[in-house]
Amino acid sequence: MTILLILVPISLALLGLAIGAFLWAVKSGQYDDLDSPSIDMLRDESKPAPPSEAEKPDDA
Amino acid sequence: MDVRARAACFHCGEPVEGEPATRNSAGGEQAFCCEGCAAAADWIASANLGDYYRLRSASGTRVDADVTDFSAWDRETFLAAQTRIIDVDREITVLTQGMRCAACAWLIDRALRSETGVTDATANAITGRVQVRWNPSVVKLSALMSRLSRLGYRPWLASGEGREQALRLERRTGLMRLGVAGLGAMQAMMFAEALYFDSNGEMAIATRDFFRWITFLVATPVVFYSGWPFLQGMARELRGRRLGMDTLVAGSTLLAYGASLVETVRGGPQVWYDAAVMFVLLLLFARMLELRARRLAGARVDALARARPVLANRETADGTREEVSVEELRIDDVVRVAPGENVPADARVLDQAGSFDEALLTGESTPILRNPGDLALAGSVCVGEAVRLCVERTGSDTRVSEMTRLVERAQAGRPALARTADRVASVFAVALIFCAAIVYAWWHAHDPSRALEVTLAVLVISCPCALSLAIPAALTAAHGRLAALGILVLSPDAMATLARVDCVLFDKTGTLTLSRRSIAVMDVCAMEDPAHLLEIAAALERDSRHPIATAFHDPKVLLPVSLRREVAGTGIEGTINGRQWRIGRPGFAAGAADDGRIWLGDGRTASASFHLLEDIRADADETIRRLRQLGISVGICSGDSEAAVRIVADRLHIDDLSARQSPEQKLARVRSLQSQGRVVAMIGDGINDAPVLAGADVSLAMSDGAAIAQRAADMVITSPSLSRLPEGIELARRTRRIVRQNLVWAVTYNVLALPLAASGTLSPWLAAVGMAASSLLVTLNALRLARGQA
Repeated sequence: MTILLILVPISLALLGLAIGAFLWAVKSGQYDDLDSPSIDMLRDESKPAPPSEAEKPDDA
Repeated sequence: MDVRARAACFHCGEPVEGEPATRNSAGGEQAFCCEGCAAAADWIASANLGDYYRLRSASGTRVDADVTDFSAWDRETFLAAQTRIIDVDREITVLTQGMRCAACAWLIDRALRSETGVTDATANAITGRVQVRWNPSVVKLSALMSRLSRLGYRPWLASGEGREQALRLERRTGLMRLGVAGLGAMQAMMFAEALYFDSNGEMAIATRDFFRWITFLVATPVVFYSGWPFLQGMARELRGRRLGMDTLVAGSTLLAYGASLVETVRGGPQVWYDAAVMFVLLLLFARMLELRARRLAGARVDALARARPVLANRETADGTREEVSVEELRIDDVVRVAPGENVPADARVLDQAGSFDEALLTGESTPILRNPGDLALAGSVCVGEAVRLCVERTGSDTRVSEMTRLVERAQAGRPALARTADRVASVFAVALIFCAAIVYAWWHAHDPSRALEVTLAVLVISCPCALSLAIPAALTAAHGRLAALGILVLSPDAMATLARVDCVLFDKTGTLTLSRRSIAVMDVCAMEDPAHLLEIAAALERDSRHPIATAFHDPKVLLPVSLRREVAGTGIEGTINGRQWRIGRPGFAAGAADDGRIWLGDGRTASASFHLLEDIRADADETIRRLRQLGISVGICSGDSEAAVRIVADRLHIDDLSARQSPEQKLARVRSLQSQGRVVAMIGDGINDAPVLAGADVSLAMSDGAAIAQRAADMVITSPSLSRLPEGIELARRTRRIVRQNLVWAVTYNVLALPLAASGTLSPWLAAVGMAASSLLVTLNALRLARGQA
């Protein structure tokens, strides 16, 4: 059963890691918006180019 | 009525009337209802964001072609009060209307980020908030805000950066507690499992104690960090000398945890860390869900933010003007309000009369004329000419703030369902503690070695986990379903009351009818061409914001009007092709006696008269039929004239009507119905409905109505369709059924299991399994509400 002395601390370390990662993710705002990222990946292009003529719609 | 061909606008989905603006966009010729929408679509295409149209699940909002002036937002005083400095950047949170689905949030994100100088932008479709971080030396805030506005998302100031930060922090803390509870409980269960497998006690004592101490280590943060809200609640309840749900939850958790610690130290036969952590996890989850559903609804309808003015134009002693933030205004300051600007504080009109649009406060879309000496309300918008005002009340003394407070107090003062749950819990808690004490005493007398174990089993098995989950789980599922239907629930017990409703009262304008009018009958008096007269009427009414003008609007008419003048409350005059025309009240337009019609003439002789009808909401008829099917009686209670109400009532086959009702009379009507034992739901949209909305058993406001009405209401109907109402009532009734099933199950389970535990047949771990299974059953039953037919 000495293997437990290695396995249990490993599991605890992993738990600590998981909690740390989760707290970091929440604090850095990754859970603030759960809606728009889900459709972001459905896009074909990766980056939107800035509009060709920056203030074009002003003439409306 | 309107028979012109209708195509849907490519951008906003509204019917295109008259000549559409067409553009080449998204791979083909598309029709738009207005230049605003067309320009937005143009920009979206040129910014390479055309995927928005493919990704969205709801159509956009109509884009106003006139861009609001946001230059005030660039001022130092404004930035200092409303934004936060991060390094070289500034950050602001604004509230927008018109975000309808995740694609909108996506579009806002991308659109803002593609502007140079924007460091970060996050839009949240659920709360309707956009958070922008930008570098003020590169780009102006006003440029970003008008970008938003030109896409159809008009930004408003949210409740202030400080409060936004606090709300965000609270949300994050809750999420972190839940995450820690989930991960910790999982791991604690893992270790507990190892102990459970050792049912014959073959494990070496050292190994067993090692596992127990490890479990203790993992369980501690769950009990004290994640369970902190319960511990706080218990402290609050104990200070208030009463027992409630929190005491029961925190007490059971602490007992299981404490007893386990004692057993671990003295090497007893059992530990129950897993029961303690599961308990915290499940209950925290239920509480988070419930809180989230209501918070989101609240954040979404923070509509009063729209009425909050930001800056004021103050006259200094020497007659020059200066821009000051509203906070700096003092009583007796003289301010100048230009057309289109908000009145910054309750103020008296000086010099000359002005018209004010109080739509945000009252839902009344007709501008109201205020003579010198009259009070203009903070938050109303000046239309027509610029006015000078003398400040009377500022800040939290204004009518808007006052009403907000009143409504908040009214909402806080009716926690009926919450009280019931608390009362049940407190009776339960006392009975349980009593029970546990008796069990402990009995076992202590007969078999002291098992006393603690059996008592714990009793506490665990009868823990009100299922009981406390029963109501929130069902309510959460129902809230989510209602929100999907387009009904936001603001007050906690509105749902329970909605299920009991047997009488629905409608305010007429804005609920059964739209504020739009259409021409029902047109009588031509002189020998003139009716089509030409219609064109003249359309040209005169073109720039008017009065609801009557909507009947005449026709984008095809481009007749130039010179010397146009709008006389508030009377009509419009102008010269077309050298001939003077007047449209409006009979006395003004044609020198005739008032007959409720709109007349067109030159001031002395009449050319035509129009009989206007309010447009009834498309599904009003269907809604009323379905309400009757549900056994609910329907009535109209309106402040409008008898004749106007009668017309609408006849078209919808409603017999029970009362017209010309003041807010007090409306309230009295509701009270008299209530005294007959009826449960009354009131649907309204204006400020004059606010008292009756607060007084009815349950009240619903339309989302396009006055902000005040929304604050006073228990629920807000966000979808433009009235048929959500019967669907909501059906859902509320199903919710009530499920809550009852859950309560019956939870109580039955506890009553049956209690003797088993007390007799020592059940070990605590079996009790914990039973408790978890019972909670799961209750949750699954509640989830039935989230699916299926509403």
